Amino acid sequence: MSTIALHDEHNHDHADHGHHKETLISKYIFSMDHKMIAKQFLITGIIMAVIAMGLSILFRIQLAWPDKNFPFLETFLGKWAEGGRIKSDFYLALVTIHGTIMVFFVLTAGLSGTFSNLLIPLQIGARDMASPFLNMLSYWFFFTACVVMMGSFFIQTGPASGGWTVYPPLSIIETAIPGSGLGMTMWLISMILFVASSLMGGINYVSTILNMRTKGMDLWKMPLTIWAFFLTAILGILSFPVLVAGVVLMIFDRSFGTSFYLSDIVMGTNILPNEGGSPILWQHLFWFLGHPEVYIVIMPALGISSEVISVNSRKPIFGYHAMVYSLIGITVLSFIVWGHHMFVTGMNPLLGGVFMITTLIIAVPSAVKTFNYLATLWRGNIRFTPAMLFAIGLVSFFISGGLTGIFLGNASLDINLHDTYFVVAHFHLVMGSAAIFGMLAGVYHWYPKMFGRMMNAKLGYLHFWLTFIAAYLVFFPLHFLGLDGVPRRYYAFTEFEFMKKWLTVNVFVTWAAIMAALAQVAFLFNFFYSIYKGKKAPQNPWESNTLEWTAPVEHLHGNWPGEIPTVYRWPYDYSKPGHDADFIPQTVPFSQTMSSNLPHDFEGNEEAEKIQQDWEIANPVTENKG
Amino acid sequence: MVLSMEKTQDIFDPKPKKFIVWLFVVSSTIMFGGFTSYYLVFAASKGKGHGLVLPDAFIYSTLLIIASSVTLTLASRALRKLNFSLQRKMLWLTIILAFGFGFMQFVAWGSMVKTGATMVGNNAAISFIYVVPLMHLFHIIAGLGFITSSLVGSYKNITLAKNKFRMEITSIFWHFIDILWIYLYVFLLLNR
Repeated sequence: MSTIALHDEHNHDHADHGHHKETLISKYIFSMDHKMIAKQFLITGIIMAVIAMGLSILFRIQLAWPDKNFPFLETFLGKWAEGGRIKSDFYLALVTIHGTIMVFFVLTAGLSGTFSNLLIPLQIGARDMASPFLNMLSYWFFFTACVVMMGSFFIQTGPASGGWTVYPPLSIIETAIPGSGLGMTMWLISMILFVASSLMGGINYVSTILNMRTKGMDLWKMPLTIWAFFLTAILGILSFPVLVAGVVLMIFDRSFGTSFYLSDIVMGTNILPNEGGSPILWQHLFWFLGHPEVYIVIMPALGISSEVISVNSRKPIFGYHAMVYSLIGITVLSFIVWGHHMFVTGMNPLLGGVFMITTLIIAVPSAVKTFNYLATLWRGNIRFTPAMLFAIGLVSFFISGGLTGIFLGNASLDINLHDTYFVVAHFHLVMGSAAIFGMLAGVYHWYPKMFGRMMNAKLGYLHFWLTFIAAYLVFFPLHFLGLDGVPRRYYAFTEFEFMKKWLTVNVFVTWAAIMAALAQVAFLFNFFYSIYKGKKAPQNPWESNTLEWTAPVEHLHGNWPGEIPTVYRWPYDYSKPGHDADFIPQTVPFSQTMSSNLPHDFEGNEEAEKIQQDWEIANPVTENKG
Repeated sequence: MVLSMEKTQDIFDPKPKKFIVWLFVVSSTIMFGGFTSYYLVFAASKGKGHGLVLPDAFIYSTLLIIASSVTLTLASRALRKLNFSLQRKMLWLTIILAFGFGFMQFVAWGSMVKTGATMVGNNAAISFIYVVPLMHLFHIIAGLGFITSSLVGSYKNITLAKNKFRMEITSIFWHFIDILWIYLYVFLLLNR
């Protein structure tokens, strides 16, 4: 079935083959190979995820036991946990940096960076990205952004503490809180590096997908993963620059004394000279990026789960075109909903109504996707691989977290729910857990492609069940706190009478969070152990149709020896009636599958239909297939 | 086997890379769209714009950058006719005009400072006239990088295909920042 042709007559040497000599540095560090860059993104993303999870455990400890001393905290954190109790300033830094790392470094760079880099060239049939150099630069900007962000833990005043949305004036007036000082400056530098990295990556992905597809790979033959990465990259290109615009104005406010976002501020007895600006304008610019950003986070995960669910249900994805159109719908809608983060800023109620309607319309494409996942699973020959479990987990979180989005998108309900734990519960399920599960599904599924070895399935199951249960135990109770009006980002619940009754729930949630964190040890061990000791991966371990599994297990620069395979069909011909195997890779021409071809396979090509009809007359179906 | 694969790889295909430059143009447009929408919302909510008569130096800088686009077009045309020395002359001229543009921007800011319309003040719309053209000036510096790479390529006698490719991306980028400046200038003229 292989259509890879080896043209040995091309075997003459070229003088300009400089990249034959691979050194340690060019192979592992400043690599321009998309597969290596994908691994760099993944491992950096995993390290950042572990750090961000560690931060969350620290502030969960504070929330659960606000009156207890933990001497070991002082050992690790020094003056930020004097006497073994986390200081309130540091608590704010913890939640801020946890959010920033998770949203940007793990779920944007770690997810898109890893899988767009790995899968775009391999699944569309390209040798590498449009610009391997920009691609390398994209990783190193990301890495530097991580270093700068983590560096802010090692300065006197600590990291940025104004929340991951860095609303002014906390983020601008350097003396407002300790975190508004150097830590905030580092946050801004880190974000600019990160946005540069994202743009270089995104621009590269879009150009590669539009210009470098192999023969036969038209847009409607692309796997849904590629569609998702494509639309994600477009979202990034269209929204990140707006954040840059906002950040530039913020930097001028911070460092040069302009008043883009500031007005009428009194610090103690000191009246600040800034006049005429408006902090609300920052919110507009921030959320014009910020809302598309949450789709930048979830869409690659949705694409990955489409692929994983279809492969492991051994069924074509239900409603391929509907899946693509719903992704496009989400992409377009994401730009006109940012105001739903700002319902309580004194927005004109009419405008609030408009944003409410656009927000609620997003339920439509989201529901289309959800039902299509369920319909794909329905009566499939399901193979419960760890990747499949995580993909199903994503669907579960997407439903349970998505439903509360309908509450929050409602401008009048939001008056009560705004800035409460209800919001925390909502986005940790729908975007946090769902996207992380999509990412983990991708790691388990494409690990053989990345490292040429298999991960241990049993540890995978352990990892899945512990994480899945713990995630619900952590985030589900938070809904009830929110409904009771408990605000987010509060340091301790002991100071407010109405919040005291939730202390026991906080203890429970913290134990669940610790369980979730411990469950990741199973993953980390499995991941790093299998790189060296895992079972050797076969060519196509999941019996999948997409192009990446036709490339040799051993990585080589340029992905395929000889010519790039040609594509003849869509990627979802699983369990096609009349064919002997339950999958037909994209590289198999219809002429080799005469017994299973259907009229619509030929897309109106009359000659091909005629050939098919002639063949069917010559080979009548004799056995009764039942 | 590995060598045969690299054969196909070595064919220089400028299309995807040119597309990258276009996408950069798109994202940069969005950034300036972000700035100008800040200005529009600010002006609408405060009921005032910058309220200035813009300094004449901005007119001169606009003329200079338009002239630089013309010389760059002439450089491309010279390359098409394989007249490399004219190409280099025109590229040098473009660089000089670009420096003239930058100089005029500073002259304009200087005359604004003299009239009291300083960057730091109680009207963010006036600060805008400093900050956003400054961001545009950073694009000019990047554009100078492109022009320099074309110029170096032309002096080093790189292959014609690569020389043309460098000229093309330089042209895309330079004409873009030219149009971008005209947009910003007209925007500031219209939104007092």
